[in-house]
Amino acid sequence: MKKFAKWSLILVSLSIFLLFSMGVATAIGPMSIPVDKALSIILHQIPPLDNFIPVRWTSAEESVIVQLRLPRVLSAVIVGVALSMAGVAFQCLFRNPMADPYVLGVASGAGFGASLAMILRLGFSFFGAIYAIPFMASIGAISTVFLVYGIAKTGTELPVLRLLLAGIAVSSFFSALISVIMALAGEDLHTVYMWLLGGFSLSRWEYIYIAAPTVIMGFVILYAFAKDFNIILLGEEQAKQLGVEVEKVKKTVLIVSSVITAVAVSISGIIGFIGLIIPHIMRILVGPDHRILLPSSALAGATILVLCDTIARNVIRPITLPTGIITTMLGCPFFIYLLKKTGKIRI
Amino acid sequence: MVILKVCGVDCYYGSVKVLEGVSFSVNAGELVGLLGPNGSGKTTLLRAISRTLKPKVGTVLLNEADVYNMKSSDVAKNMAVVPQSSSLEFEFTALDLVLMGRHPHMRRFEREDRTDLEIAKEAMKLTNTWQLAEKPINELSGGERQLVMIARALAQNPKVLLLDEPTSHLDANNQIGIMDLLRKICKEKGIAALAVFHDFNLAARYCDSVILLHKGKIFALGKTDEVLTEENVSKVFSVEVIVRRHPITNSLYIVPISPLQEIIPTKNFKVHVIAGGGTGAPLIKILYRKGYYVTAGVLNLLDSDYEECSMLGIPTVGEAPFSPITNENHEKNLGMVNQADIVILSNVCFGHGNLKNMEAVLYAVERGKKVIIVEETPIQQRDFTKGKAEELYMKLKNSGAVTVKNYYEVPSLLKNLENELSPS
Repeated sequence: MKKFAKWSLILVSLSIFLLFSMGVATAIGPMSIPVDKALSIILHQIPPLDNFIPVRWTSAEESVIVQLRLPRVLSAVIVGVALSMAGVAFQCLFRNPMADPYVLGVASGAGFGASLAMILRLGFSFFGAIYAIPFMASIGAISTVFLVYGIAKTGTELPVLRLLLAGIAVSSFFSALISVIMALAGEDLHTVYMWLLGGFSLSRWEYIYIAAPTVIMGFVILYAFAKDFNIILLGEEQAKQLGVEVEKVKKTVLIVSSVITAVAVSISGIIGFIGLIIPHIMRILVGPDHRILLPSSALAGATILVLCDTIARNVIRPITLPTGIITTMLGCPFFIYLLKKTGKIRI
Repeated sequence: MVILKVCGVDCYYGSVKVLEGVSFSVNAGELVGLLGPNGSGKTTLLRAISRTLKPKVGTVLLNEADVYNMKSSDVAKNMAVVPQSSSLEFEFTALDLVLMGRHPHMRRFEREDRTDLEIAKEAMKLTNTWQLAEKPINELSGGERQLVMIARALAQNPKVLLLDEPTSHLDANNQIGIMDLLRKICKEKGIAALAVFHDFNLAARYCDSVILLHKGKIFALGKTDEVLTEENVSKVFSVEVIVRRHPITNSLYIVPISPLQEIIPTKNFKVHVIAGGGTGAPLIKILYRKGYYVTAGVLNLLDSDYEECSMLGIPTVGEAPFSPITNENHEKNLGMVNQADIVILSNVCFGHGNLKNMEAVLYAVERGKKVIIVEETPIQQRDFTKGKAEELYMKLKNSGAVTVKNYYEVPSLLKNLENELSPS
């Protein structure tokens, strides 16, 4: 059918665009490396190909690409995918255009865990230093979700309005705790503050090995519910009458979206706005059908975040700005423009 | 063939009981109307049937299987719901929305294929909406939207169709259009349809049978003209109605006249009416409307005078149907006579069973009460006691009771008496 052909075209173009952005992002930086050279270095890392690609770069160039830029770009892709998908899912379930991946308090919970790790310098005692912050962040994020979930639940049902309010309450509570930690942080204040603003300065391959499979799995599960999402938009009662197991879908989707959000937050801190505006932009561009909205938002979110991170790294050299600042600074005006132009924001 | 069967369903919202002991069944090809005032439990009943609100007691059987033991997709393959007009602020096209009706028939990762598209197309052609297929749903008019929702329900290939006020907010043309369509669908596809209506005339005209809900219980059910009687409708809806047969459509039509209000007696003036056999009802109604505090003498339970009194909430001494007045009830009647300022005797026939009522009037005269006798036909024609009643009647007339020839003379007479009596 025509519809499906159009969808394929959209997804192919968005994928090409994403790969192109990743290439550019890897090439740009304080040490200027041409795109073709960067690409050769990347391909050289893949075992069967390394025999065919002659080494025409310095070892410094190779380590910049492989150890610094590539993990950073891939982290941005993973986080972009995770936040955009979670944004789509939450807006649909809550039937609320203001919902974003952080509505259930995931961000504050993660922030609390991470800042605790930072001021207690947990890394030096019982964890490997590199895992301490993301580990504590995910513990914080996931326990927050279960706390909110437990508060909102009534019997076997999970009313979305209760979830929303419980999310706000728990989120505010953890924000207050973060403020307490910051007040006590002393010399660690800067570290905590920068983490909360969100960025990819700490990106490492080790994180990607854990985050990538989780987010891919999350994508598969959410995509499996794409048709149910469309119907849930009509209202829970109608969805039930059309054979959707609403409560089951709701619980699964909330848990999966929260987990991928937690993964994203634990490797990048709190990146604002991506999870809110990407779904809206894509809804305007590709329509409300979640079978196209979900994958296209994932691709677009990844692309935008990679580009924003490239700007964050390069706009005021040698300072690297927190990426979250760039996404918010560019996202807000664009969103306002859309709001003015289309007049009406729908879910 | 029975497709949908509801057995003894009780439903609660929290601890509030909204449905009690509801049982009925719907056959294939039958269009059943569900009528009742606001809050009588119509929508709740649809929710209970459509597996949205589980009843505390009772079962809902779809093709003899309990819907609450079925998978929701299996229910949706056999039962479709057309909701009360819903706001649809999405950019889905009408076709997208109709294709959602195919959801229960599709596997998880499956896309709608040619067959699904054909079924959706057929449903849209049947509802005359195929030309709207590519239009965004939020740009459709209310009537078009409702037709698209019906098309979606049909795309589910259901055996049972539930509709919640399918014609509310629509103009006359669309109402008739949708009802004609519904009846056609039921007959042609053998679908059992249950539809909530607010408009009894639409229900009367289109439904094969009607269920009348009142305070969460079935008040009456059956053939449309058996259920939609003046008596049933006015009781359930607390409105005075007349029911006639329409000369053109030959269906019943029901015209509401005025709400039956709980009239609070405004006059400090008690009137006791002794009647029977329907001779008192018109007078009782008039006096009640005028604000008199009315009571009524011994009446048999199935008597239309008794029904009228109970409908108006008038204190009445009741006697078992077709039974003579017992001494106990006679005593009660005398008690009411004592309380009254005025006693009225209607143009009632007397047999041995109700002769005590005549004695009660005599008692009133003896106690010095004002007594009015309505004499529309001579007592000789109404006396079935071989002269006993006549004898008492004459005694009554000779001891100062006022006689009028027609019941509608009573109010003006009362007014005069009222002025006469009130200074004391």
